[in-house]
Amino acid sequence: MNFGEKVKCLIKEAELYKTQGLLNESLDIYKNVEVLIEATQNVKNKDRFLAKIAHKIDSLYKQIETELSAPKPPRVSEEAQSVMKEMVAPDEPEAKGSASLASALALAKFGQFDQAIEEFTQLLATESLRTDAAKNILWCWVQQDEAEKALGRLKQWMSGDVLTFDELSGVRVYLEDLIRQAGLDTRVSKDKIHKDLEPESEVDDEDILDVDSIRFEMPRGERKGETAELEVSFQAGKYLKMLVPKKDKRLIADLNIGDYLSGMTFFSPVAIFSGNGYVSSKVVINAGPKKGDYSLEIKILNIQK
Amino acid sequence: MAILNLKNNEIQCKIVYYGPGRSGKTTNLEFIHKHFTKQVAGKMISIDTHGDRTLFFDFLPMGLGKIKGCDVKAQLYTVPGQVQYRATRELVLKGVDGIVFVADSLKVRREKNMMSLKDLHENLKKMSIDIRRIPLVLQYNKRDLEKQGFPLMPLEKMEHELNRQLKVPSLSASALTGAGVGKTLSQIMKLTLKYLQKEFHWAQDNSS
Ligand SMILES: Nc1nc2c(ncn2[C@@H]2O[C@H](COP(=O)(O)OP(=O)(O)O)[C@@H](O)[C@H]2O)c(=O)[nH]1
Ligand SMILES: [Mg+2]
Repeated sequence: MNFGEKVKCLIKEAELYKTQGLLNESLDIYKNVEVLIEATQNVKNKDRFLAKIAHKIDSLYKQIETELSAPKPPRVSEEAQSVMKEMVAPDEPEAKGSASLASALALAKFGQFDQAIEEFTQLLATESLRTDAAKNILWCWVQQDEAEKALGRLKQWMSGDVLTFDELSGVRVYLEDLIRQAGLDTRVSKDKIHKDLEPESEVDDEDILDVDSIRFEMPRGERKGETAELEVSFQAGKYLKMLVPKKDKRLIADLNIGDYLSGMTFFSPVAIFSGNGYVSSKVVINAGPKKGDYSLEIKILNIQK
Repeated sequence: MAILNLKNNEIQCKIVYYGPGRSGKTTNLEFIHKHFTKQVAGKMISIDTHGDRTLFFDFLPMGLGKIKGCDVKAQLYTVPGQVQYRATRELVLKGVDGIVFVADSLKVRREKNMMSLKDLHENLKKMSIDIRRIPLVLQYNKRDLEKQGFPLMPLEKMEHELNRQLKVPSLSASALTGAGVGKTLSQIMKLTLKYLQKEFHWAQDNSS
C-alpha cells in the first residue's frame, strides 16, 4: 500500500468508528494519521491536510467530553416508567407492600425522582414501610444535590405527625450520613442541619424549675429501653447540659443529636416532673481535665402538667 | 425469574442482551421489532439521551406462540454497556432467564468484549447465578464489516477468547442487516425454555 492508500484506509476506519459511536477508537486512528503525515516528506498540501486532521481530533475530543459529562437522567414516558417498575417488582400479591416499595425504588434508581417521591409519599401511610419510604424520599433529594430540600422535608415531618419520635430519629441519622456521604456537608454543615431541625419547645424558660438530674430511657442500641440517669451540670432555661464520662461508651454511642426522649423525669430540689426532651447537642471535650468526656445537651420540649 | 401462570397456561420469561457499549444490542432489538411483527407483542421502548446511547435499557415484549399448550411470552431487554451504568445493568439483570451476549467483532473492541463478559460473570455471581448454568448464547456481531475490509477478529479467535470455557452456542451475525438475529433469538429461547422446563417441570404431561 502506498502512502495515499494507507491514509485513506485509516481515515475510512476512523470514520466508521465515529459513526458507530466508538469515539476513543476513532480518535486513536486520527492521531496515528497525524503522526504518519508529519513523518512523511513530500506530502501534497501537508499543512492543510494536517489542519483538517487536527480539526477532526478536536471535534472528537469535544464529543467525548459531552458524553462523559453525564446529564441528569431524562424524565421518561409513563410507559417506560411502568417497565422500570415491573422489571424489579413482578406482581406478587402477597408481597404487595414491599413490591410497591421496590417499584418506587426502581424508579428512583433510574433517576425518575419526581415520580418516585410521589410514590414513596403514598407509602408513608403504611406503617411497616414508613421509615423506608421516608428515607428513600430523602435519598431522592440528596441524589439530585438538593440537600436543602431533603432537610426541608424532614423539618416538615418533625413538625407534623406523619412519623413517630422513634421513626424521626432514625430517619434523621440516616439523612446526616447521606449528606456526608454525598459530600454535600461542606454546603450544608452539621451545625446547620442541627439548627434547622431542632424542634420548637412548648415551654417558656421562666416556667422551668432548676433541674438537678434527669432520668430517661435509652432510645436505641443494646440498652434500648433501659433507664439512664445523668446529673445536670449547667442549665439555661429549657436547655440542660450534662457531662458524660468517656468510660460510659454505650451512652455516648447510643445517644445522638436528634434523638427524642419521651417520658423523661426531671428532678428539681422542690419537685419532680415529667416531659419530653430532645438531644440538641453532643460534643466531645477537647481540652482540660475533662478531655475525652462528652458534653450532652438536652432541650426540654414540653412538660406534663 | 420466569413467571409461570399455570391457570392461564402462560409462561413469561426475561431475556437480556448483554455486551459492551456499541456492540449492537439495540440494533438486534430494532431488527426484531421491525421484521418479526407477528411475534412482537407491544411497543419497543428505548430510553436514550443524546443521540443513540442507551441510557437505561431497551425493552421489547414478544409473544412467541404456543409450546406444548402454553403461551410463551418473552420480554427482551438490553443493558447499557458503558462502564458508568453498572447499577443499571444490575437492575436490568434481576430475574433474568436467558442471556444473549453480543460481542463486537471489531478488533479494536477485543478487550471490551472480555471485560464485559467478566462484568456479566460478576453480576450474575452477585445474584448467585452460575454463568455456566444459566441459558447463554454468544453472538459475534458486525461480521458484515469484514467484506468492507475493516479489521475484525477472526471467528476462531473470538471463540477461543470468549467461549473456550463457557462452551455455549455461538453465532455470527450482522444486526444491521439482520443476518443471524432471528437465529440468535430462537437459540436463546430454545435453551431458556429447556432450562425452565427442567427447573419447574413445566410442560410435563399435564394429565398426571
Ligand atoms: N456494520 C455494522 N454496524 C452495526 C452492527 N450492529 C450495530 N452496528 C452499529 O453499531 C453502533 C452501535 O450499535 P447499538 O445497537 O446502538 O449498540 P449497543 O450499545 O450495543 O446498543 C450503531 O451505529 C449501529 O448501527 C452490525 O452488525 N454491522
Ligand atoms: Mg443500546
